[in-house]
Amino acid sequence: MKLIYEKSKKGRHGFSLPEDQFKEINLKDCVPRYAKEKKEKELPEVSEVEVIRHFTKLSKLNYGVDDGLYPLGSCTMKYNPKVNEKLASIDNFLYAHPFTDEKYIQGSLQIMYELGELLSKITGMDKFSLMPAAGAHGELTGVLMIRKYFEDRGEKRHKMLIPDSAHGTNPASSAMAGFKVVEVKSNERGGVDINEIERLMDEDTAGLMLTNPNTVGLFDENILKIAKIVHSKGGLLYYDGANLNALLGIVRPGDIGFDVLHLNLHKTFSTPHGGGGPGAGVVGAKSHLVEFLPSPIVCTDDGKYFFEYPKKTIGRVRAFYANFPVLVKAYAWILSVGGKGLRQVSEASIINANYILAKLKKYYKPAYDRTCMHECVLTGREYKEYGVKTLDIAKRLMDYGFHPPTIYFPHFEPYAEETIMVEPTESESKETLDEFINAMIKIAEEAKTKPDLLKEAPHNTPVGRLDEVKAVREPKLHA
Amino acid sequence: MRYIPNTKTDEEEMLKEIGVSSFNDLLKDIPEEVILKKTLDIPTLSEEELTEKIFKISKKNLDFRFLKPLIGAGAYRHFVPEAVKAVISREEFYTSYTPYQPEISQGNLQSMFEYQTHLSRLTGMDVIIPSIYDGASATAEATLMAMRLTHKNKVITSSLLHPHYLETVRTYTAPHQTEIHIAEYKNGLSDLKSIESMIDENTAAVIVQSPNFFGGIEDIESIARIAHEKGTLIIQVIAESLSLGLLKSPAEMDVDIIAGEAQSFGMDLNLGGPYNGYLGSKMKYIRQIPGRIAGETTDKEGRRGYVMTFRAREQDIRREKATSNICSNHALNIVAGNVYLSLLGKNGIKKIAELNTKATHYLRTKLIETGKFSGFKYPFFNEFVLEVKDKERIKDKLINNGFIPPFDLGTYYPGLEGYMLFAVTEILTKKDLDFIVNLLER
Ligand SMILES: Cc1ncc(COP(=O)(O)O)c(C=O)c1O
Repeated sequence: MKLIYEKSKKGRHGFSLPEDQFKEINLKDCVPRYAKEKKEKELPEVSEVEVIRHFTKLSKLNYGVDDGLYPLGSCTMKYNPKVNEKLASIDNFLYAHPFTDEKYIQGSLQIMYELGELLSKITGMDKFSLMPAAGAHGELTGVLMIRKYFEDRGEKRHKMLIPDSAHGTNPASSAMAGFKVVEVKSNERGGVDINEIERLMDEDTAGLMLTNPNTVGLFDENILKIAKIVHSKGGLLYYDGANLNALLGIVRPGDIGFDVLHLNLHKTFSTPHGGGGPGAGVVGAKSHLVEFLPSPIVCTDDGKYFFEYPKKTIGRVRAFYANFPVLVKAYAWILSVGGKGLRQVSEASIINANYILAKLKKYYKPAYDRTCMHECVLTGREYKEYGVKTLDIAKRLMDYGFHPPTIYFPHFEPYAEETIMVEPTESESKETLDEFINAMIKIAEEAKTKPDLLKEAPHNTPVGRLDEVKAVREPKLHA
Repeated sequence: MRYIPNTKTDEEEMLKEIGVSSFNDLLKDIPEEVILKKTLDIPTLSEEELTEKIFKISKKNLDFRFLKPLIGAGAYRHFVPEAVKAVISREEFYTSYTPYQPEISQGNLQSMFEYQTHLSRLTGMDVIIPSIYDGASATAEATLMAMRLTHKNKVITSSLLHPHYLETVRTYTAPHQTEIHIAEYKNGLSDLKSIESMIDENTAAVIVQSPNFFGGIEDIESIARIAHEKGTLIIQVIAESLSLGLLKSPAEMDVDIIAGEAQSFGMDLNLGGPYNGYLGSKMKYIRQIPGRIAGETTDKEGRRGYVMTFRAREQDIRREKATSNICSNHALNIVAGNVYLSLLGKNGIKKIAELNTKATHYLRTKLIETGKFSGFKYPFFNEFVLEVKDKERIKDKLINNGFIPPFDLGTYYPGLEGYMLFAVTEILTKKDLDFIVNLLER
């Protein structure tokens, strides 16, 4: 498809501007000599109609949740309710300038405060910061709080334990916060090796970053023991709650020993992913960490809402306060679903994942053959002997009209290789899952009988497999 | 529940297929004592109840649609065409995930590439990372990047860097033994002598925002020369990206790294977010830059297509050795920015930038003419600083007459308690400005 630049024609434009009424101001007097541009900025020249058609056409090359099943593991691609979009764009929110006096934005502050309270109820944490822009941003915030906590106590702890199954952002966030990452191996049951934790958790170690259910979709049965070990050695337990979809109304991270966590509102709490953001990676703290939260947080007194600056705050992690419309959407979702519905969401997502696991495990050997939580991790290992890679299986799924699951993550030896991580969420019906299951079974068949069909897949998409090596060797990063 | 299609019967059938007799059997890994026994105490609202509730809460805000801001300070109310909103309301854009499967994500990927092109032409930089969360976090990432590139840990920032950006830089660099030195300003611009005197052999970068926090147009070229002579990198921060439509590009001034905020390109104020940060650099620094980038390539049949590229910098591949932890960014705002800049085009961006400048200069001139205001004189884009005597009264007057008052500089600049930072965009007409002058004169 053509680039917008290839549609450009001199003299066209797509904007509407008020007339220039400032003829008496001479632009030459406004721009100092040292800042006058030498070269004109060659943006494309296109009309509004052409722009709309261009982007409509582009959009049709995409696949969204509204198009169908989007079973990306660890991503929680659930339905994004339409009413939430509308409520998030109410004029009084949309046009609010961040530097207006608190008394003029009481509505926005109320939403922020109440969302924090709802999240505290759901997770068992004491106070939330809504500031972080994404999950990884929340992680960085959380580990910086841990860092500051120890600094404040005069303890030097420079290591962080992270399981081999953890999402890549966990080690990356810890490194950004200045910690040395120490990897903890997963055991044969899919949990972290508790003896390893016992051995590694020393006076130099700040704690453990844990995802639970972890990325193989399993709830760590030793969680209470793990928490005890970490705490008894003076460490803290970080919860990667990017994906909380299995635990709503069932277990609260705050009740099982976690000291600080982040949640991705753009996963569990239904706010759309937008092609990779914006979301929100809100951070919840137990009381002993509240004073380290990023600044400011929203508090209330006597019916008034206001910003407060925690005493020992790590500071700001961004400009202004939060990705506000994302907060409205999450708030709206929680109230639409309610306490009863929250539990139903988790039940439905767990049943859906286990159904897929049960139906497909004969064809795609699971990383661990146990009942799972909200997602299941299968593998494409057995098709290697036919020359078929997991990537080929994923690409072939597109020909059947589905977005593929997450592949090659998690990855750790010897249990999780060639992984296919499926997270159906509560949004999918049994019929949709059956169609997906049938497609996967057919592909398993094809892998044995017509492997080339898979290796050449996808066949029905606007472009075929793209040459990623070339993209790096002959970089072309703009037109 | 309307968001869950499966019925009780479906679930029973599925549980049977799974081979368990009840849902609770699927929870057997969870210690019994931590499973909640009671339903969470959260009410369930119907769609209509919910809508009414949130609209009512929104009424506790001012009616911001009809309040025109005389304030910017890093968040600018520019006109956002409906076409931008129409495009980003398409489900294919807003309900998709990160384009990990390029064959069915060409819409997002090509849009990233086009937007990279727009920004590359506006800034002159070879490499554009189209989305980092916001300008503040982009500035912090640029700082860490410069420290990695130079293996040095001292940075010099202008005191006219947006205060929130500076605070964010402090937070991000706190674990890395970074020395942050703040150069002074003089008459609304960074003091080049102060910057020069602070650079030493351990300096990784000089960070200067232009237009600066006071709206001032900095002499970046001279600062870049000073930095380079002393073997230091220069990072230009651009909080008001519309200025790129008018001013010399960072590349023309030999800037090494840019960190920007693209909110002015089609994003609403939204109480401060989500906006869209970006980074740019010379090609030679690409392996140290954080964030996702799209590149052009071909498929086997030679068809052109786009992929996320130079991925070996990212957390999912490099884990603790990645250039950043960033994963999700503000991708949908790439589309917004792309639509906005495509609509504007070459002439539009120039015209809006010019209009902003002229309107702003008009207001300052008129206010000075009243004899009631004074302030430093320096070249500025769409913001300027004035000393305002009767601050509180003026704030009230403005808000009561439909304008959000200027930013109170006393908040962040001790010594400037009596000063305010005025911003003017194309939203304010000449009539508005004359009205304001009249109002403040009285
Ligand atoms: C388990 C886990 N942790 C953290 C993240 C990071 O979240 P984000 O992409 O919002 O930064 C993700 C999502 O990709 C995730 O799945």
